[in-house]
Amino acid sequence: MKSKIREFIFNELIFVAEPEQFSDDEDLLEAGLDSMGIMRLIIYIEEQFGVTLPDSEIDPDNVKSFNCLQQWVLQHQS
Amino acid sequence: MKEKKPIILQALNPSDYFTLAMDEEIRQENMPGSLCGFGLELSTPPDFEVLQARIHEFGERFPLVYASLQQQGKRFFWCQREQNIPLFKQHIDDNKTDGFHKKTVLELLNHQQAREDISPISFHLISSDTQHTFLLRWLHPFCDARGADLILKYLCTEDPAKRAKFDLPKLDSLVNLQLEKYSLWQKISLFFKAKRYITQLDKLSSIIHADISKAPKNLNFLPFTMSIEQTQIINQLARKQVGMTGTSLYYLGCFMRALHRMNPDQSGEAYCAPYAFNLRKNKALSPVLGNHVGALFAQAPKSILHDRNALFQHLKQENKQVIRESLDYAFLPVMLAASWLSLKKHGKELRQSYGSGSERSSFWFSDIGKSDLSNQPFFNSEIQKVFHLCQVTSPPALAFLCCQMNEQLTISYNFVEPLFASVWIEQLHSYMLEELLMPTDE
Repeated sequence: MKSKIREFIFNELIFVAEPEQFSDDEDLLEAGLDSMGIMRLIIYIEEQFGVTLPDSEIDPDNVKSFNCLQQWVLQHQS
Repeated sequence: MKEKKPIILQALNPSDYFTLAMDEEIRQENMPGSLCGFGLELSTPPDFEVLQARIHEFGERFPLVYASLQQQGKRFFWCQREQNIPLFKQHIDDNKTDGFHKKTVLELLNHQQAREDISPISFHLISSDTQHTFLLRWLHPFCDARGADLILKYLCTEDPAKRAKFDLPKLDSLVNLQLEKYSLWQKISLFFKAKRYITQLDKLSSIIHADISKAPKNLNFLPFTMSIEQTQIINQLARKQVGMTGTSLYYLGCFMRALHRMNPDQSGEAYCAPYAFNLRKNKALSPVLGNHVGALFAQAPKSILHDRNALFQHLKQENKQVIRESLDYAFLPVMLAASWLSLKKHGKELRQSYGSGSERSSFWFSDIGKSDLSNQPFFNSEIQKVFHLCQVTSPPALAFLCCQMNEQLTISYNFVEPLFASVWIEQLHSYMLEELLMPTDE
């Protein structure tokens, strides 16, 4: 899951010179993930992994890193 | 004797054509075309020699800045000129003229010049005893707002090795790259999806406040910069009202409500605002030149404007729906097809509602977002404020442009006189401020 999300973010949303050096705990918001990007990311995750991510839970704690994103999605997959 | 054909440097891409069509529409109204500007108010005189040298270097790195936009057959191209036009000009106030800075900025933005003759981009330092303004003026088909931001960032980057990274990797037009991802049938399907979406939007007539009985004469602008405290409150309220995914939607909703308060009985059924979204990845330094945007619309019926929660919910839902159904990318094949239309027909398609033929846009909207120039020195000076400019068609004769820099929100209202007057815009801004700072119902 994480690798697919990484691929989507680095291919479509934010430019990072060396994506492989970007750790799973690094701050995506600092790296340039903005409001439009978050919207696209959520729709991608919902379609790709068959989950519904409630609007009320879209906050920095859930989207700020790959690890946070994975944890958030897993909560809703189960 | 046969006329010598100019040397073609580069062809326009589909996204450039839609800004070119707007340039033509504005010119048809006896206005100067789609000139845009970024202004920086500086604390002290910038280091002139270094600035001049950096602009010169920029010209050598991007020779297209000296080009002339010319038509050959049905298509348009950036062509080589016989002689380069100087890129950088200084305007000095020797006579202590009242309002010298704004007056000069407006003269530059209202300067009428044939499309073939005008410089695609120029840099201006406006200096008086106590004020220093740096203005970047460009013609919209040449680059988009993000590109202009990148150009400023390039100029401010001290390290030559870091400057060398701009425009690398060299990318083709991002509209074309995105379109290459689709098969012919997918493109056709997206094209019709976009057409259906526009037809749906056009069912509601747009509310337009401009006094269209008057002919456009000149562009004016009023910029307002919020304090850091006000900006923090606005960001918090935006987060509460529309969540993390929609700061732009918060500005849009507040602006629609402020306009509504100016005259709730204004004819029309909905506010409709086109806005561009960027195809560049965030933080990317490439491409610098050209337009790399797609178009979207935000529309809200008059009937829900009295209810803030309902309005923001509607705008959010609409935006989500657009992305979920790929309607954002659906406009790209339309853009590609429209680039083969005559400029007149293209302009009509962009502006007029199907059926009624009335203007589709209530106002133009652009949220430039958080500026990369935040907390950066500008040639040994400090950037105190920014403002943004763009020529706009009449109607709607009104553009709302905003950005956040140094943790401060700046709103630049651009309007065409006499279809709008400054006093009206000032009142509009006071409503806008109330809307931006209005607590949520929670």
